[in-house]
Amino acid sequence: MENAEKDWIVRKREELKSWMNDDKRRTGLSRAISAYTSAKERALSRLPELEELRKEVRGIKERSIREIDALVKVTIDSVREVRGEAYLARSAAEAKEIVSELTGSGKLVVKSKSLTGEEIGINEVLEENSNRVYETDLGEFIIQLRGEKPTHIINPSVHVPREEVAKTFSKLLGKGVSPEIPELVGVAREYLRDKFCNADIGITGANVVAANTGTIFLVENEGNARFVSNAPPKHICLTGIEKIVPTLQDAFKVLQVLPPYATGVFMSAYVSLITGPSKTADIEKTIVYGAHGPKELHLILLDNGRTRMAEDSVFVEALYCIRCGGCMYECPIYRVLGGSFGNNYFGGIGLIWSAFTTGEEGVAVAVDACTKCGRCKEVCPLGIDTPRMVERLKETLVKRGFLTPRHEEIKRNILEKGNPFGEDEARRD
Amino acid sequence: MSRLRSKGISDSTMALLGKMGIEFDTLGAEEGCCGSVLLRTGQTGAASRVAEETVRRIASRGFGEVITACPGCYRTMSSEYPQIVGDIPFRVRHISQFLMEKEGLLRGRLGTVNARVSYHDPCHLGRHMGVYEEPRQLIRLIPGVELLEMKYNRSRALCCGSGGGVRSAFPELSREVARSVVADNLPGEADLLVTACPFCNFNIKEACPKSLRVLDLPELLLSAWRG
Repeated sequence: MENAEKDWIVRKREELKSWMNDDKRRTGLSRAISAYTSAKERALSRLPELEELRKEVRGIKERSIREIDALVKVTIDSVREVRGEAYLARSAAEAKEIVSELTGSGKLVVKSKSLTGEEIGINEVLEENSNRVYETDLGEFIIQLRGEKPTHIINPSVHVPREEVAKTFSKLLGKGVSPEIPELVGVAREYLRDKFCNADIGITGANVVAANTGTIFLVENEGNARFVSNAPPKHICLTGIEKIVPTLQDAFKVLQVLPPYATGVFMSAYVSLITGPSKTADIEKTIVYGAHGPKELHLILLDNGRTRMAEDSVFVEALYCIRCGGCMYECPIYRVLGGSFGNNYFGGIGLIWSAFTTGEEGVAVAVDACTKCGRCKEVCPLGIDTPRMVERLKETLVKRGFLTPRHEEIKRNILEKGNPFGEDEARRD
Repeated sequence: MSRLRSKGISDSTMALLGKMGIEFDTLGAEEGCCGSVLLRTGQTGAASRVAEETVRRIASRGFGEVITACPGCYRTMSSEYPQIVGDIPFRVRHISQFLMEKEGLLRGRLGTVNARVSYHDPCHLGRHMGVYEEPRQLIRLIPGVELLEMKYNRSRALCCGSGGGVRSAFPELSREVARSVVADNLPGEADLLVTACPFCNFNIKEACPKSLRVLDLPELLLSAWRG
């Protein structure tokens, strides 16, 4: 056991090193970080009302998580009332089963970005069932083509600089593509256009869900999520139960805080509010479902460790996260380690999310990369105390046997010699 | 940490206090690690034992006040010990707070240092304990010094990468973070980087080229002392 664990530490250390020493990824990250920070500062200075609003949102999230079980029930009832279908999936396996049943096989599936989808391995299960899956968020599309995993929750290809994107797209089209960003965006637009229109199924996540109306909020800038949720005849929305707030009014407050912190825009270009499937009663007042939008709407609410989080007095705070991803851009470790700092979810709070949704073992090494410096808490719109949670996670991991050998040595030295280095001290005056 | 890896900091601190005529003593060979690193690395049981023992040693010598040259010790002893052992019978402050209280003993006794100085906020001292101004005020006490703020400073300061047990687990990561922070954050015109933490000091010095001058706050003040 001990040897295996040590091997694992060595492996993760190699992964961290490969990120540290990869100039291309570091270039991509550092360009994105500097663009993000200046955009956010401008947005925050133009929207002084956010100071009050973010405190309100913190209160909304605290209340929502306290009543999470009841809100799940209300949401399911509300969605059914408007002729959608809603499910509670206790685990990733349950969610995958529901998705498999709803999609079947041989389908053309378009997706918009969803870390919750990544969490359950949704693409893998869709492809195993012989479906063709297209990611339509530009960043996700890039990393799907490159066979990589997302490295940031808002900007999944943050580590891929334009020159690399050009190489990837040149390969896709079988002809040279220049590394000019507008041209690269054009390639994705052209390539994906008919996929949207011909898809059998569109799969999205959700940024917020209003329980009492069963309304799904999709917040985006590209317009792809709107396409995905609207063009195909069947829309499946997979989201975590922590995204639910009681009312539309609450949801609008979350909506206002998200974009400036996520991408430095005052408001995202597109916000889609979806309450049930598409319908019309224009002919003889007879309601028919599936007019221009999808005929079917399926909302899958995922637990997968979230209730356990809600039950813990320290880790509950992670559920307040609105997933703006700002803390990652601001993290001095993430800027060096990028996508190796976490496991599906990234940065300090990502360690907590990863531990609860995909298992503590997956972050047993990455947790040692967090300095608990507190910059994430400082920049978090909700003031989430991530360093405290990371310390607590580390404590839990140690109790479960994931004690880093070097840290254990330090403990021994402190207890035996009074200092972390194990040196004998000459008596001083 | 300071005593064994950044001896210049503890020596300078004691020398400075001596020159200022402050009456003080240390635990000498009795002094041990405060246990901060144990709290950061999930070893809370051992941390509690260290906390109890440290409080007992300090209290048994009858000290009413403890001054630390390390922000980690300051945070751990002042804000975390009370949660572990209850009320502690002495006051804990960081050296910068103490020196600012005694600024009268420094004013007029520091010689001119012609340098453009940038100050790196340590996480334990700044974000975790809210001490941002005292170190800056002390730097400004030195005639001739121009204080140039880092691009990100105070509550937005960038961590040097050595805290929280990271340096012991991934030393190469700590060094890389220190390099990236200095490269992105330090004003190009600065000719001296001042820290107020032995961890930051050691890590930045080790990671960055020798041409970067790094001094800790008491070292800077001592070097300016004219008497």
